[in-house]
Amino acid sequence: MKTILRIGLLAGAVIFAAIYGGTTYADEVQLQTPKYQLNKETIVRGGIFFAQNCLACHSMKYIRYNRLATDLGLDKKFITRNFMTPKGAEYLRAMKTAMPPELAARWLGATPPDLTLAARYRGTDWIYTYLRSFYWDPDTSTGWNNHVFPDVAMPNILFSYSGTVDDKGQVIKKASYNSQEYDQKTTDLIAWMRYTSDPSIIVRRQIAPYVIGFLVIFTILAYLLKRAYWRDVH
Amino acid sequence: MSAKQDKDEKDSESETLDRKELSKRRFLTAATAAVGTAGIGVVAVPFVKSLEPDAAASAASVVTVDISGIPPGGHITTSWQQKPLIIVRRTPEMLATLNQVTAMLKDPDNKVPQQPSYAQNIYRSRKPEWLVMMQVCTHLCCSPAYDPEKGSVTPTWLGGFFCACHGSRYDLSGRVMHGSPAPTNMVVPDYTFIDGEKSVQITGLEKKSKLC
Amino acid sequence: MSDKRGFWVWINERLPVSGFLKASMTEYYAPKNFNFWYFFGSLALLVLVMQIFSGIFLLVHYYSSADQAFDSVQGIMFDVKWGWLVRYIHTTGATMFFLVIYLHISRAYLYGSYRKPRELLWIFGWIIYILLMAEAYLGYVMPFGNMSYWGGEVITAIIGAIPGIGDWLVSIVRGGPAFGGATLTRFMAWHVAFIPLLLIVIVVLHLVALHTVGSNNPDGIEISKKLNADGRPLDGIPFHPYYTVKDIYGVGVFLTLFAIVVLYAPTLHGLIIESDNYIPANYLQTPPDVTPAWYLSPYYAILRSIPEKGLGIAMLGLSIILPFFLPWLDRCPAKSVRYRPVYFVMLILLAISLLVLGWIGLQPANPALLPYARVALAVYFGFFILLPIISKFEPVRPVPERVRS
Repeated sequence: MKTILRIGLLAGAVIFAAIYGGTTYADEVQLQTPKYQLNKETIVRGGIFFAQNCLACHSMKYIRYNRLATDLGLDKKFITRNFMTPKGAEYLRAMKTAMPPELAARWLGATPPDLTLAARYRGTDWIYTYLRSFYWDPDTSTGWNNHVFPDVAMPNILFSYSGTVDDKGQVIKKASYNSQEYDQKTTDLIAWMRYTSDPSIIVRRQIAPYVIGFLVIFTILAYLLKRAYWRDVH
Repeated sequence: MSAKQDKDEKDSESETLDRKELSKRRFLTAATAAVGTAGIGVVAVPFVKSLEPDAAASAASVVTVDISGIPPGGHITTSWQQKPLIIVRRTPEMLATLNQVTAMLKDPDNKVPQQPSYAQNIYRSRKPEWLVMMQVCTHLCCSPAYDPEKGSVTPTWLGGFFCACHGSRYDLSGRVMHGSPAPTNMVVPDYTFIDGEKSVQITGLEKKSKLC
Repeated sequence: MSDKRGFWVWINERLPVSGFLKASMTEYYAPKNFNFWYFFGSLALLVLVMQIFSGIFLLVHYYSSADQAFDSVQGIMFDVKWGWLVRYIHTTGATMFFLVIYLHISRAYLYGSYRKPRELLWIFGWIIYILLMAEAYLGYVMPFGNMSYWGGEVITAIIGAIPGIGDWLVSIVRGGPAFGGATLTRFMAWHVAFIPLLLIVIVVLHLVALHTVGSNNPDGIEISKKLNADGRPLDGIPFHPYYTVKDIYGVGVFLTLFAIVVLYAPTLHGLIIESDNYIPANYLQTPPDVTPAWYLSPYYAILRSIPEKGLGIAMLGLSIILPFFLPWLDRCPAKSVRYRPVYFVMLILLAISLLVLGWIGLQPANPALLPYARVALAVYFGFFILLPIISKFEPVRPVPERVRS
C-alpha cells in the first residue's frame, strides 16, 4: 500500500514537472489549443492539403512518400496522385520542394523552413494560432502580417478559409468557406504535422497496450514469487 | 526425550508446509523466468531489425539511368550499388549474332536464374534492342571488357565480353561461353523502362541470382 | 545429471564461479528490513546496462560530424527500422537514470549510509553521480540540435572561469575557437568510450566496497554486531534468493513505468527532449531559454542566482563538491533519520530546497524568482555547514539493538 502511494506521488510529481517544467514560449499573443483527433483520417486529409498548398515551398525532408503507405494504410496510386505534387518526386525518396532554396530566399525574402519537425519545435498550439493569426498589412511585401510571427515572409495560404481581416480583427473580405471548414482545415494540418514530427506515434499507440499489459503480468508474477519467498522472513 | 519428540513433530509439520511452498516457489520461478525470457526475446527483435538496411539504403538501391542519348550500337557504363552496370543499345546485326553462337554457350537458354523472368530469352532483356546487365564476371567478380567488334578477341569473335582476369568470354547478351572458368551467365538486374525509352530504373536483383 | 555437475566442477577448477556466487549472493547476508528506498541500486545497474545496449545500437547509425549529426539522428527516427524505439529508450533511460540515482542518493541521506565504515562507498557513488552528469551532458550534445549547441557552448564557457588554466582547458575541450565539429567528435569519444569505461570500473569498485562492509539498513544499525551460532547476522538474510526475487519485482514495476513513458510520452512535454533541439544547431540564433535538462537544473538555478560570474561558478562547484565531505560532517551517534527528529527536519528542508532550485532552474530567467533561489541556495549550503554542529548536539531517540520490521 505504502509503495503504491509512494509511486503515485512520484508519478504525480513527474507529471506536474512535465506540464509546468518544460520550455514554453511566452508570447503576448494567447496561444490557442487546437481540438482535434489524431487518427488516419485527419492525418491523411491534412497531408493532402499540405501536399497541394504547402509542399510547393515547404519541404518535409524526413518523410519518404512510401512510409505513408505503411503508416497510414494508403496505396502507391493514392499517394502518387494526392501527395507527390512537386516535380521530380520519387516514391522512395522524401517530400522535397521543387523550389531551389537560394531562389526561394530571393523570391520570397526568406527560405521557407523544412516543416517535418515543426510541430515539435514550435508546438501544435503555436502553429495552430499562427495559421489563424494572419492579418492584412499593406506595408509588407506580401500584404500579409501575423500576430504570432511579426513580419513573417509567408503569405496567408488559408485566406479563402479565414477571410481577410485587418490587424484589429475587422473583416475586409469574407471567407469563401464557413468556419467549420476553416476549423477542420487547420486542425487537419495540425494532425498531419503532429504525425510528421514523430511518425512513430502510430506504432507506439498500437503496441502500447500489449507491451504494458505484458509488463503488468510479469510484475504480478514477480510479486507473487517475491511474496512466496518472503513468507520465511519476519 | 520429550523435547526431541516435540522437535520431530514440528519438523514433519514444517516439512509438509515446505513441500507445498516449494512447489509453489518452483512454479512461480519457472513462470516468471519464462515470461521474462519471452519478454527479452521480443525486445531483442526490434534491436536486431534496426541493423537491417534502413529506408535510405533501400531508396538508394533504386537508380534511374538516362538512356535517351545512346545511339544504336552505343552503350553506357555506370554503377549500381557500387558494381558496374552496362546498358547496350544493340543493332540488328548484333542481335543476329545471338543465334549463331548457341553451340559455344554453356547455358544458351538461361536455365540458371541469373535474370528476371522477362529476360529469359536470347536477348536477356525486356526489349531486344536494349541490354541492361551487371558487368560483373561470374567467375571471381572482375569486370569483363565490352568487345563488340568482330574478330577483336579471337579471329572468329562475333562480339561480346572478354574478362582479362582469367579469360572468361561472353556473347552480346552476357551468356558465358565454353572454355571459360566462369560458371554462369552475367546477371541481369530487375529493371523497368521509364517514359517510353527515355530512362531505365534499376530496382534490384533477382533473389536467386548470384553476381559472382 | 553427472555430466552437468562434471561441467561445473571443470569450470570451478579454472574460474572461481561457485565461490564468487556464494560470497556475493547466496552467502552474502543483507539486512532483512530493506524498504522502498532500497530498490534503486539494482535499478541503477539495470539502467546502465540498458543505456549501453541502446547506445551501441544508436552508434551503428550515428554520424558525429557537425553537418551530419542532426540528420543522422533524424535518419534513426525516420528511416532505421525501429530506430525511434532505440532512440527513445536511450533518451528516456537518461532521465530515468537520474530519477533512480536521486532516489538512491536520498536513501543514503535518510539512513546515514555514507557514515563509517561506508565513506569510500559514498565517495565512489558521488563520483559515479558526477560522471553521470558529464555523460548526460555530452550525450545531449550528440544530436547537435540548437539546444545541444548552445547548451554545449555555455557549459564549456564555464570551464573558462577556472583561474589560470581555464582558457587552455576550454581550448582542449572545444578543440577550436568555438564550439563546433571538433568538439562534437571528441565529445563522442568521451561519451561513447571514455566515460562508460570509467563508469563501469567505478561501479564495480562501488559494489566491491559495499560487499566489503555490508549494507546499511533503515534503522542505521550494524547487523554484523549481532550474530547467531553459525556466525550469520541475526537480522540478515541471504541476498539470493530474497533480494534477487525482490529486485526482480522492482524491475517489473520500473519497466512498466518506463514503457509508459517511452510509448505514450517520450519527450515528456519538453522535459526529456527540449523543443529547441528539433532544429539543427544554428550558430547565429540562441534559443530564448538555454536551460539544461531537469536533472541539472538545480545547479543551473544556483549559477543563475549569483550575479557575479566567478562567484557563481565557484558556488556551483562547491554545491557539487560539498556532499563528498558528508561522512565527516555528520557526527551524530545515530545514523538513521528514524531516530533523529531534528535531522529529519533538516532533510525535509534540504529536499524542498533542491526541488525549489530544480523548478526555478527550468523556468526562463526571471528576476522575481531570484530571492527564492537564493533562499533555497542558503538552505542547501546551510544543511552542510550546520550539520557538523547540529549533529553533535541533536536529540537522539533510543536506537534499537535489533532491526525493526
